[in-house]
Amino acid sequence: MPSPLLTGRHERSQRFEAVYAAHHGPILGYLLRRTDNPDDAADALAETFLAAWRRLEDVPAGPDARLWLYGVARRVLANYHRGQRRRSALAGRLRADLAVSYRPPEYTGELAQIAEAYRRLPAGEREVLALSAWEGLGHGEIAVVLDCSRNAVRIRLHRARKRFARELAAGQAQSRSADPGLRIPNGDLA
Amino acid sequence: MKQLTRISPVSDTEAAHLARPGTLAELAERITVESPVQDAARGVSVRERWRSAKRRKWVVAVPLAVALAVALLVLTSLGRPGQRVGPVSVGPPAAQALSFSRHHGQITVIVRDPLADPAAYRAEFARHHLRISLKLLPVSPSLVGTVVYIGESGGADIAPITARGRCWTGGGGSACPVGVRIPAAFHGSAQLVFGRAARAGERYESTTSAFAPGEVMHGMRVRGRTVAQVLLLLRARGVTVPVFNYARGDVARNVRHVPGGWFVYDATPWAPREVMLSVGPGRTQPPVGAPQPLSSRAPVPSPTPTG
Repeated sequence: MPSPLLTGRHERSQRFEAVYAAHHGPILGYLLRRTDNPDDAADALAETFLAAWRRLEDVPAGPDARLWLYGVARRVLANYHRGQRRRSALAGRLRADLAVSYRPPEYTGELAQIAEAYRRLPAGEREVLALSAWEGLGHGEIAVVLDCSRNAVRIRLHRARKRFARELAAGQAQSRSADPGLRIPNGDLA
Repeated sequence: MKQLTRISPVSDTEAAHLARPGTLAELAERITVESPVQDAARGVSVRERWRSAKRRKWVVAVPLAVALAVALLVLTSLGRPGQRVGPVSVGPPAAQALSFSRHHGQITVIVRDPLADPAAYRAEFARHHLRISLKLLPVSPSLVGTVVYIGESGGADIAPITARGRCWTGGGGSACPVGVRIPAAFHGSAQLVFGRAARAGERYESTTSAFAPGEVMHGMRVRGRTVAQVLLLLRARGVTVPVFNYARGDVARNVRHVPGGWFVYDATPWAPREVMLSVGPGRTQPPVGAPQPLSSRAPVPSPTPTG
């Protein structure tokens, strides 16, 4: 659905504020789930919505706006991971808030194994899995975010799930061999 | 996939509540103060941007009537002695590092020398039973003496004090954040970061547009100009370009040399008398993060003949 034509600055601001109000939570969530550094998430949130403000005519109306924003946020973070990081003057207060309110989780036991298996996946496979599991997107929605066909998403997701299962099994096997003493009475390994 | 959902670090609902409502509103407000188009890329003059920004209020602007109702500590940076921020002189006449004074229930702390040892500031705050550290980072000229970052814990709401027209900031327009207001009952801890002038060759930690008043490219137009042309203009101002930013598809990278026939889209202050130019092979800049068709892939940058 195309974005409504924006004529005046006031109208433009109102439209932006509506997009921001509806989607800042999910976009911040998306960013925090993909970086261990809350400062980066704050800066990327500012950069993502600054892009939305400047390209407001390109932002789709309705729920599709979120998919568009995920796509921008993904590219902003990709640049951060390549060292193109710039502290945003816009996000100073948000960085301060997140520094106090958010700490990335540290997993132990089984969850640590799952997290490690996930980290071992290539970045592209991590992203397609995360869009499905964390953002709860369907194939068609992931295709919009990644700017590829629905069929390509289906194939990537299938491959990613298989590889994730393999990595998880390998991690569990390694854990068992590292600690053979944890054998329990019925013969299974803990 | 159920396993993956178990390691989701944070839910959307949780994320939405990690920042204070005022912080989120301020970010939206500061974004909409920005020009809707990228000035250098689309040729909007800084004067137009300045005018449009001045009409808008910045949500951080503090209602000072409320401020007078409670005992406050006011920290104000006045920049380096004798220093000018944009068109306005902000430097104090004295060379003292820090001074505290009490008037009408407020304590005013003035940073008199942003190049002084931060340990001295920490000691001063400790003497006033405030767990506040102050750090100074090198920033581009128009941000010197402004608040770059406020970090706090303990629940108190430390808010910037703005002085309209004193400087131009990236998001605040002419509402220049020159200090902070701290409730007297503040029992938490906080870190304040102010911008200071960079030393020669020192990289800026925080910057605004290179075209803002007080910055080295103020008043310069680059739209439709090539790298070679802009380098000549900059040479006349004694400004050099140590690095170019070049975006290709999703990837933006910094390179030291690009062809002189490429076009300049934008500029960012880099260090004193140095800027980073955003460049590309096309006359107009592709949209931020826009996917690039394989057929229009730009060539790999090669050394520029214009040096």
